[in-house]
Amino acid sequence: MTPHPLGRLLNILDYALSSLRRRLLKNLLVFAVFTLVVFLFSSLLLTRGALGDLAGRLLAAAPDITVQQMVAGRQVPIAASACEGLRGIPGVGLCRGRLWGYYFDSENGANYTVIGLPEGPAGQAPASLSHAVEGRLPQPGERGKAVLATAVRQQLGLEGRRFFSLFRPDLELLSFEAVGTFTGSADALVADTILLAEADVRHLFALPEDQNTDLLVDVVNPLEVETIAAKIADRLPGVRVISKERIAKTYRAVFGWRSGITATALLLALSAFVILAWDRASGLSGEEVREVGILKILGWQSGDIILLRFCESLLVSLFAFLSGWLLAWVHVAHFQAALLRPVFLGWSVLRPQFPLLPPLAAADLFLVLAISVVPYLAATAVPAWRAATVPAHSVL
Amino acid sequence: MRIVLDQVSKVYNSAQPNEVVALERVSLAIDKGEMVCLEGPSGSGKTTLLSILGCVIAPTGGSASIGDKKIARLPDHFRTSYRRQLVGFVFQHFNLLEERSLLENVTLPLYPLGVSPRVRRERALPLLQRLGIDHRRDFPVRQLSGGERQRAAIARALINDPPLLIADEPTAHLDRPLAGEIMDIFAALKAEGRTVIIASHDPLVVTHPAVTRRLALHGGRLLADPPGQR
Repeated sequence: MTPHPLGRLLNILDYALSSLRRRLLKNLLVFAVFTLVVFLFSSLLLTRGALGDLAGRLLAAAPDITVQQMVAGRQVPIAASACEGLRGIPGVGLCRGRLWGYYFDSENGANYTVIGLPEGPAGQAPASLSHAVEGRLPQPGERGKAVLATAVRQQLGLEGRRFFSLFRPDLELLSFEAVGTFTGSADALVADTILLAEADVRHLFALPEDQNTDLLVDVVNPLEVETIAAKIADRLPGVRVISKERIAKTYRAVFGWRSGITATALLLALSAFVILAWDRASGLSGEEVREVGILKILGWQSGDIILLRFCESLLVSLFAFLSGWLLAWVHVAHFQAALLRPVFLGWSVLRPQFPLLPPLAAADLFLVLAISVVPYLAATAVPAWRAATVPAHSVL
Repeated sequence: MRIVLDQVSKVYNSAQPNEVVALERVSLAIDKGEMVCLEGPSGSGKTTLLSILGCVIAPTGGSASIGDKKIARLPDHFRTSYRRQLVGFVFQHFNLLEERSLLENVTLPLYPLGVSPRVRRERALPLLQRLGIDHRRDFPVRQLSGGERQRAAIARALINDPPLLIADEPTAHLDRPLAGEIMDIFAALKAEGRTVIIASHDPLVVTHPAVTRRLALHGGRLLADPPGQR
């Protein structure tokens, strides 16, 4: 009777499945550990991907170039008039000053970033900002109004209240009314932010009229950003010129492969899979030798035994991989990476609230597959071959 | 289907200090439908001879054939194919997989052939009924009695409908009434036209009326006239 290839494969799969059921406890343990490692590593990759995507979306709205004045390695205010010189550089579209600074809230132990409301050419705030705010923005020329991040609102204890106060350097107390709150994904970037009218920021930090915290430059042709950044650095000695691409590179370094946390997790996950694979590769028990001997004397070929071993390993590793990946997806997308969020957010007093939307990256999926299922299957090759070479007459 | 061995020898660990000559120039012919009893003390070469006849191992010398198939120089892959087609084995220690059900054990030879679960069941159930163990088909083998296990082993040996049945001490672990029943089953299989070769010390086997011929091995050589030959 000629073997039927598909029937043979299905029968051997069926036999492998029942073999796994018979060694249920051991296989469940291997499955659980395998799933856990895949889950943790996949969660990290998905969280990293979601944060990277978020950073990319937020950076899209950032200015092409930021110019900061440096003295003795520290940032100091920059003259607003510096923009005049920069506008003369061909390719520079827009240059404007920005006001911002840090405010330490000694009562709550929190540090807030106070930013002056940027205004468009017509004296209006950018439309993208309006969409990120629940409530409203301060109107042009309106003083004493603020938009707060959710975490800042909580720190200031503004539930049920609208007014709060901040101290000037001379200890004069300034009162502000919260008229809006940042929402959704913007909260990731502005978790510690208080947005005020520029005049209020200047007054709060006692900054002179002709000084800004930094300058923002938009470039007409995005391909020329680096060239223009170099020209700005030449024209204004002692400034730090930061292009959007450099910030993007920093994000990629934080969330990318070479970032410490990803590399460490990759190493740990790989070690775990090697240990699991080693268990698979080490030795054949007397019971296994007997079973293979019986199967071979009953007419199972060496190829059937090798296929059987591969099916067993494939079933365990593939299902563990799929379970781990799915659990990781649910963990990141539904539970917002509850286990990993503290690792990424650190010990800050202000915790940003933002939705994580894990991207479906084929490269990540294949990476996890490559470091989990592949070594496990590879480790099966040696014991599978050893099992297949058990002589049939060993049971006689 | 005639079985012919001509000057068959088997040497283990050839040219090494632990060399063992298990069989030495054994020649015999067994006709279709014979029931042959193979006798001899431990180490006389019975199991080696059964292994060669059952296409499990290849001889190191001589020629062997089952019907028109030459089996002496075949690679392992082809020997396995022939074994699957031609030979059913019944072992002294049953060699069943304890944790698997009786039905699974009996149908094990059909798995690599790609036979569907439905057909496997259809082929096994009549055999189990014939051997009186169909009511135990879903029991794990560890829950079966010695007699039921040996019947299961016989059912498994017959699942591919082989023309040759080889049994190694099939009654060694059975009480007398059970051993008698098993021998009656072998006799019925012989009556169907199958060739049955049994290695045994058991007087119940040796003197069974269905046995047509007795062969005696000693030190790897076939003796002309075994003691007590009828």
